[in-house]
Amino acid sequence: MTSLLSGISIVCFAASYAVALGCEASRLVFRSGVRGMVMVGFAAAGLLAHTLFLVWRAVTEPALPLSSPFDWYLLAAWFLAAGYLWLALANPRTPVGLFLLPVVLALTGAATLASDRPFLQSPAARAWARIHGSFNLAFSVCVTLGAVAGLMWLIQAARLARKQAPTQGFRMPSLERLAQVTHRMLGIAAWTAVAGFVSGIVLNAVKLPESVPWSDPVVWRMGIVVAWLVVADGIVLATRRRPAGDRIVAWLSVVSLVVLASSLAWGLLGPSQHGMPAPATVEEAIG
Amino acid sequence: MTVTAAEPSTTLALVGGTHRTVPLELRERLAFSAEQTAEALATFRERFPGREAVLLSTCNRVEFYAAADNDQVAPVADELVAFLAECRGIDPARLGPVLIRQSDEAVVQHLFSVAAGLDSMVLGEPQILGQVKQAWVLAQEHGTSGPLTAGMFQAALRTAKRVATETAIGRERTSIPSVAVADFAAGVFERFDDKRVLLLGAGKMATETLRYLREAGAREVTILNRTASRAVELAARLGARPGSFAELAAELAAADLVVSTTGASEPVVSLSVFQQLEHRRRGRPLVVLDLAVPRDFDPRIGARPGVWLYSIDDLAAACDANRKSRQREMPAALAIIEEETLRFMIDVHHRTTAPVIEQLRAGWSETGEAELERLFRRLPGLGEAERDQIRQAFERYAAKLLHPPLVSLRSESRSGPPHGLIDALRRLFQLGE
Repeated sequence: MTSLLSGISIVCFAASYAVALGCEASRLVFRSGVRGMVMVGFAAAGLLAHTLFLVWRAVTEPALPLSSPFDWYLLAAWFLAAGYLWLALANPRTPVGLFLLPVVLALTGAATLASDRPFLQSPAARAWARIHGSFNLAFSVCVTLGAVAGLMWLIQAARLARKQAPTQGFRMPSLERLAQVTHRMLGIAAWTAVAGFVSGIVLNAVKLPESVPWSDPVVWRMGIVVAWLVVADGIVLATRRRPAGDRIVAWLSVVSLVVLASSLAWGLLGPSQHGMPAPATVEEAIG
Repeated sequence: MTVTAAEPSTTLALVGGTHRTVPLELRERLAFSAEQTAEALATFRERFPGREAVLLSTCNRVEFYAAADNDQVAPVADELVAFLAECRGIDPARLGPVLIRQSDEAVVQHLFSVAAGLDSMVLGEPQILGQVKQAWVLAQEHGTSGPLTAGMFQAALRTAKRVATETAIGRERTSIPSVAVADFAAGVFERFDDKRVLLLGAGKMATETLRYLREAGAREVTILNRTASRAVELAARLGARPGSFAELAAELAAADLVVSTTGASEPVVSLSVFQQLEHRRRGRPLVVLDLAVPRDFDPRIGARPGVWLYSIDDLAAACDANRKSRQREMPAALAIIEEETLRFMIDVHHRTTAPVIEQLRAGWSETGEAELERLFRRLPGLGEAERDQIRQAFERYAAKLLHPPLVSLRSESRSGPPHGLIDALRRLFQLGE
């Protein structure tokens, strides 16, 4: 059992998700009676391997998931993959995987670039670190789901405007359902992002009472994301009763994902103290 | 009328007329109600004892399937035409030229195509399958369905299911009301039970569209018509609320979905009228199914945000695209029909070999039993277990000897009844007729 668990690698579940994505894409090309089963089978196999991989890390590494950027990305991918599997089973004719699985694969790929060094926290800071990481995870997943629903809204609206009837391989949910999901996800994302940002400040204050690193790029890039989401939520509320309101919300959701992705890419490639072990002294922190 | 055997090899026969071959006026006279079908089948049973028959009568076709088993032959086409003409009181000379006549394999292929909806006015429509099944059930109830028709109709139902599941021939909608509701209105709205539907005019297309909307869950429906009495009458029939055209602006402001089929020569809702009431809609999406010619809604309204306007031409184009999509599935559907027809015909042809196989088996079994008795008399010391072993060995040997001729008969059945082989077996093994 131990050798089985330790043998599971990122490639195992990423490959399964990639096959499921290939099956989703093949909807656009040809009909098949067994595709649904193959697609769900590979997605389920991928999710199982993904789950076992995270469990194995939680057992063998000193901290739980969310203990490093690597784990954070993989857990975000896990939530989205689980969401995909649920949607694929509940709505087998909707090609939601075409939109969701690329994000799952992108997050899995990002994990391979991210540091797997655990955030070393004092016992007092550890609770705040978990709260901060959980809120950030929640808002990232919500932004992604909102953007997927928003993008699907825009495509469905374009098809309906072109008077194009749905085809067997490409049947989208209704605009009403997609708009509901987009609105809800953007709203939840804004508030969980605020909570994540505030808990991050508290975490730093607990860790380094003398020197909260306001100048760290991670602080202001997260600040920008949070500010954008709050503004976007405000626009959502303001345009709720306007004829073009749903279209505006759909665009806002897509832009929100772009903003978040840029911020994460910046975090992966740019300099930051985020995720570094806590310095022993104030002098060390100041450098 | 006498029973003749003009086509000696015929075991299956069909005469019938469809929307393609019989003019509507004659089709109306030829159509059978359920009672008339029962009467016709009862008459057939008396007149053609031992023969099988199924009568399929729908709006678009009347088809009479006849079959004969056990060395009989099915009634010939002329007899069936005369029978149908007599049942419906039509001159056979008038009916004969417009009816199709088929026999044997062509009958099977035709029935399979009909059951799968490939011969229907709307390609791939599923209702015909239920009607085919119903026709067979009726024949069973009246004792005119036998082993051949039962096998053929069961195979037809199986074939139709295969066509439905293995191809997309019946999946895309092709009628304007169904496309309007299921493909466009349902593309905008998730549910209809909380939506307000407004019917402008009382055309047939509007009522048909409303039927689909009701099936989708629509509850709150208002009907406006220039003739108030017509609106009241229609509203009572459709369980809707009647209103007058004076309420048009207020109703448009409140509606989520409008189905419009007035006979007005000018647009009923101009762009300026719509813009004046737009703010009262509070940003709610509006689906307009403008089924009128000329159009009731100014086409520029479709460019307003939150408005999804579909004219009859838009919907007809979507229906056409769906029909083409169904046509693309035809080769796959025909391949299934061909495969199932061949399978069924092999079974039918193979049935003719049953008496010879039975005679062979019985003859060999009889000889084997005699030889075993002789052997057991010579070896009295054998116990019951040994005797069983020897008996089983004899049976296995006979089965193995019989296997090659059975395979040859089955293989020969692919191209028709294997009369040559049957004759050869009879002569070789001296089997009686």
